[in-house]
Amino acid sequence: MNKRAYNLAYFLKESKTLFKIDFLSNIFSIISIGLILFILSLVLLGWRVSSYVIQIVEREGEINVYYDLSLQEKDINYLMEDIEKIEGVSSTSLVSQDEAYNRMAEILGKEAGILELFDENPFTPFIEVKIHIEEVDSILDELESMLGIDYIRDNKNIIDRLQNILIILKVLGVLALVAIGVSTLIVVSHIIRQGIYNNRDQINTLELLGAPDIFIGFPFILEGVFLTLLGGVIAFILLKLVLGLGYSKLFTALPFLPLPAEESLLIPIGIFILLLSGLLGIIGSLFGLAKDNEKA
Amino acid sequence: MIEAKDVSLTYQDGTQALKDVNLRIKAGEIIYITGPSGSGKTSLLKLILGMEYPTEGHLRVMGQSMVKDEEDNIRKLRRKIGPVFQEFKLIRGRTAFENIVLGMRFLDFTPKEIIENSYMALERVGLKHKRDSLVDKLSWGESQRVAIARAIARKPSLILADEPTGNLDLDNALNIMDILTSLRDENTTVIITTHATHLIEDKEEGTFIRIQEGRLKMERRGVEAYE
Repeated sequence: MNKRAYNLAYFLKESKTLFKIDFLSNIFSIISIGLILFILSLVLLGWRVSSYVIQIVEREGEINVYYDLSLQEKDINYLMEDIEKIEGVSSTSLVSQDEAYNRMAEILGKEAGILELFDENPFTPFIEVKIHIEEVDSILDELESMLGIDYIRDNKNIIDRLQNILIILKVLGVLALVAIGVSTLIVVSHIIRQGIYNNRDQINTLELLGAPDIFIGFPFILEGVFLTLLGGVIAFILLKLVLGLGYSKLFTALPFLPLPAEESLLIPIGIFILLLSGLLGIIGSLFGLAKDNEKA
Repeated sequence: MIEAKDVSLTYQDGTQALKDVNLRIKAGEIIYITGPSGSGKTSLLKLILGMEYPTEGHLRVMGQSMVKDEEDNIRKLRRKIGPVFQEFKLIRGRTAFENIVLGMRFLDFTPKEIIENSYMALERVGLKHKRDSLVDKLSWGESQRVAIARAIARKPSLILADEPTGNLDLDNALNIMDILTSLRDENTTVIITTHATHLIEDKEEGTFIRIQEGRLKMERRGVEAYE
């Protein structure tokens, strides 16, 4: 048998022994780390969903132009031609009063019956203008100077708000990442130090026999990685549950909300959380071991 | 192998364990250190193993200067030493076999050699039948023999045995003495401390050191005396 494989079996067995020695404390640590990482995954989830929504809204950037209802069909066509000439406008289309009604009925779905309360169609026709969202300000300036336009409805406000939310989520995400990183490192290094304390006689004997630090410390590193990885798995399972539940509720309540596919959120966030948990386990263990060496 | 020049050791509480020790030990020698309890026998072994550092003088073991700044190199030096501690320092919760193997995993042995050496060492100290017994369950004397087996399985250049027969009956004590002295044939330097002078007084070869109040008195017998 290869020497490394021979020793790896020993390291695994040792880390299992270390885990058993402080069993309850380790179980609580795994749960704490799992919950901490779950909070991080929720922040990441919010971050990714809002980024996605903004992307969709930006990609589907459009402005609704409500024209003077006294305009004749010929004037409306002229107006559409003029609008299409504006830089940043990709196309225009006329949405009739009936189509506007049908669209709303489609959005409302089961609740569309509410529209029947109206004696007449309450919607007005409008021109739907597809635009490049980055040109929205100059397009709005040009439209406002045109004649025959009563009102312009743009979703700039919504995009601005979403972008503000995204900035807040990004800041929160970074803060959460730092806070979670530090707290996980503290938990892991404390556990490792506890393990070192419990095994100080064994460590001392191995030092006197000439064992190198890496040989003595490796089982502790494995234990740390094991703790955080299990925490990561708990966070992943909780995320999957919450995502599944949240999505089914959201789709029922807000069917028109553009949300990314569940897997496209779960898999990258899950992988990130697991990798991060492993990394934090290694760093936390090394930190615990380094503090012990300093003390020695 | 070991060279001490005017070495003194004073502990932090002010106790002077060794004073002006001068010593020159060659490879393959066998050294018996005797003296009453608290005379400094264990302190001398601690200095050689790097568990303590001389407070005065110079000590070199296998060419390695024994000073605190050389901690990393001293750790490496320990891989060439087979220590037998007075309090055994066996690892609890492990079997006799696992304790011996654990002392060799980080040395330059293949897994096959580790297993073979461990079996041979257990056999040599008469504990082959106890290989799978937890050390926590072994008697005092058996634990001592496991500690000796761990030291010799490592095939070290130097054996430091601190009272290796302290808890054994006469037959076992003589047997252990024979095992340790036989290591000389493998060119291993063996240093044994003991207060049981009756076990060594009829030895015809070796260096006999008597420590009294931290000072050494040396006598060489046999071939070494004439070199």
